[in-house]
Amino acid sequence: MRSAQAEGQDHLKNLRTLAPAIYMKHFAAKLWLGIREWCGDSAYERYVQAQKTKPEKSCLLTPTEFYVERVNHRYSRPNRCC
Amino acid sequence: MKRPISIVMWIVVALVGAGALGGIAFHRGEPLNATWFVVAAGCSYLVAYRFYSAFIAARLLALDDSRATPSERHDDGRDFVPTNRWILFGHHFAAIAGPGPLVGPTLAAQFGYLPGTLWLIAGAVFAGCVQDCIILFCSIRRDGKTLGEIAREEVSQRGGFIAQLAVLAIMVILLGVVALVIVNALKSSPWATFTLAATIPIALLLGLYLRFLRPGRVLEASFIGVALILFVVVAGQWVADSPSWAHFFTLSGVTLAFALIAYGFAASALPVWLLLAPRDYLSAFIKAGAIFSLAAGILLVRPLVLMPPLTRFIDGSGPVFAGKIFPFCFITIACGAISGFHSLISSGTTPKMIIRESHARFIGYGAMLMESFVGVMAMVAACAMTPGVYFAINSPASIVGATSDVAAATISSWGYPLQAQTMTDLARAVGEQTLLNRAGGAPSLAVGMAQIFSSTIGGPRLLSIWYHFAIMFEALFILTVLDAGTRVGRFMVQELGGRVWKPFARTGWWPGILLSSAMIVGAWGYFLYQGVVDPLGGINSLWPLFGISNQLLAAVALVVATTILLKMKRLRWIWLTLIPMAWLVIITMTASYQKIFDPNPRLGFLSYANALAAQIAAGKIPAAKIADTQRVIFNQRLDAAVTAVLAAMIIVLIIEALVQWYGILSNNPKSVLHETPYVATRWTEDFSGASYPGTVTEPEAPAIEG
Repeated sequence: MRSAQAEGQDHLKNLRTLAPAIYMKHFAAKLWLGIREWCGDSAYERYVQAQKTKPEKSCLLTPTEFYVERVNHRYSRPNRCC
Repeated sequence: MKRPISIVMWIVVALVGAGALGGIAFHRGEPLNATWFVVAAGCSYLVAYRFYSAFIAARLLALDDSRATPSERHDDGRDFVPTNRWILFGHHFAAIAGPGPLVGPTLAAQFGYLPGTLWLIAGAVFAGCVQDCIILFCSIRRDGKTLGEIAREEVSQRGGFIAQLAVLAIMVILLGVVALVIVNALKSSPWATFTLAATIPIALLLGLYLRFLRPGRVLEASFIGVALILFVVVAGQWVADSPSWAHFFTLSGVTLAFALIAYGFAASALPVWLLLAPRDYLSAFIKAGAIFSLAAGILLVRPLVLMPPLTRFIDGSGPVFAGKIFPFCFITIACGAISGFHSLISSGTTPKMIIRESHARFIGYGAMLMESFVGVMAMVAACAMTPGVYFAINSPASIVGATSDVAAATISSWGYPLQAQTMTDLARAVGEQTLLNRAGGAPSLAVGMAQIFSSTIGGPRLLSIWYHFAIMFEALFILTVLDAGTRVGRFMVQELGGRVWKPFARTGWWPGILLSSAMIVGAWGYFLYQGVVDPLGGINSLWPLFGISNQLLAAVALVVATTILLKMKRLRWIWLTLIPMAWLVIITMTASYQKIFDPNPRLGFLSYANALAAQIAAGKIPAAKIADTQRVIFNQRLDAAVTAVLAAMIIVLIIEALVQWYGILSNNPKSVLHETPYVATRWTEDFSGASYPGTVTEPEAPAIEG
């Protein structure tokens, strides 16, 4: 019968072995989410989220309506430089 | 223990940077390795960011993270979107990084590598980054207002009007000159023309995909688009090899100019989701990829910089553009060191997404440092080719001659040896008919990039593919600037026209859309056409005009920033904006004066017009060419008038600002600061703005108070 201390040490050892893998997985997930946000893939999710927190309820745009409105608005002011 | 290690580390970074800068400045003899440039720039940026920007953030601006930013107070998921600082940095950098930091340093390389490199680093650290950071801060404190609106509130009504006018002027000149860069890159090149033309149906396809098939799925659409674009870069070779297709895509400068004008009109008038937005997505991915690849390539290959530190052309006799090192080195570098256009991104878009005031330092100051680094890389790429080849590509035929033999003899006589066969072999190696007289910076940068890329992947066999990839990369994001700028210009024209006749301002009214699009396209199209038919190559006249207008807008932004800082009682540190502002005023005024009045016909617009008029009067111009010559004379006088108007605008704005400054210093009660009132943030300290569901720390109560 192994002692609780030995089991604890094994657990710690396992964690240390796994730590880089977990870190990498976490990093990859964050990077993926960051890229999605940078290119605008998650813009609709963010919009829905923002609408939920608003006290006054307005009609929610569909993904297509939101996309068209977003690009129309975005390209009506300087957003690309020399 | 940590502090002494940090101090030692920063001393080492500073010493290494100073050593590398000293090496670049004082080295003579054998060519330098590009690593010196990377180390000098990198260490300078690190030290500047760590100390100078921290000083600005703490002492000058007193950035306050307890204050709610516009993205918190107005979060609507559309305009005002709290955004993680790294992602916002990416957005901001993608917005500010255009063709300027690539083309400007490439052209300025005619003075040698030293002046341009030093200005790229020092100008960014002490002027460009300071401007971007402070204007971003000012806009955050004013609910994301634009530069024009801020100028109207803080300087004067007239100041605001001048800022808006300056924006429109720079937009028109910018679009004309970047279009000219594309024309010179595509002229007589079926491969490059086919590749760029093919990006239009690809963008249309993606537009339909994003609108009807998978709304808003930008990432997957962009992957498809990038794959198709890489395919057409390769397919361009087959087009160039096919006599009938090559003939179809071999276009003259004038034809290309009209094609671009038609494209600009279509992109401005068509629905934005159909062409403009998908092209922008493609451009953003290709731009990010190409810039990182260039940085990696330079680090891996570490090419030798063959251009001397200073060339004989610092005296103003340069073949690429006329003008002495002062002020034209600074005017030509433009965006890589300081760009007035950045103040439009720093006010209006980015401040509505920032989650903490302190991020203004990272995003405003940091992104500009990165842009400056892009400029240094472009300088390395341009200077890594032999000087003779550089001058052969970038000089107009009227100066070096139109054939390889004549050009080689002329350039060799300047002390930069060049064999005619070298140009023929190089053109063949990159898959072009000729590389002579391709002024504009894009082809020579593409040759430099292709040489660096092919040294890492593919060797000389892939030189032609890399060259056309680089041309496509430059042309693609210049086209993005062209169509996005035309559309924004159209809105500005509609807004101005709406003051005279209200229906004109309605952005959905088709006659208004068509008329305003035609007006803005006609304006920049005229500059483009005059550049294409200019016997001196166009770039000689138009790039300095663009540089003057850009630096003038930067001076406008710094005048506004100085006014606000005075109102904030930051008199002690006012020199932080006052000195760069004064410097910009000196260089724009000197350059404007020389461009208008210099007696050298290659430099002064009026003297060139007068010289041509005298030739007509003396009967030296053949009858068949008199009409063309008279058009050139008119264009030169028009350029002189435009330059004079730009200079007059900055003088009027400075007078307006001086009146305002006097009022502030004499405690005039009318000189008040127009900041939005303080509202405490409700976000926790660890809130990072990550957008995915479940991680946003939402406020328990509505974020806006009283």
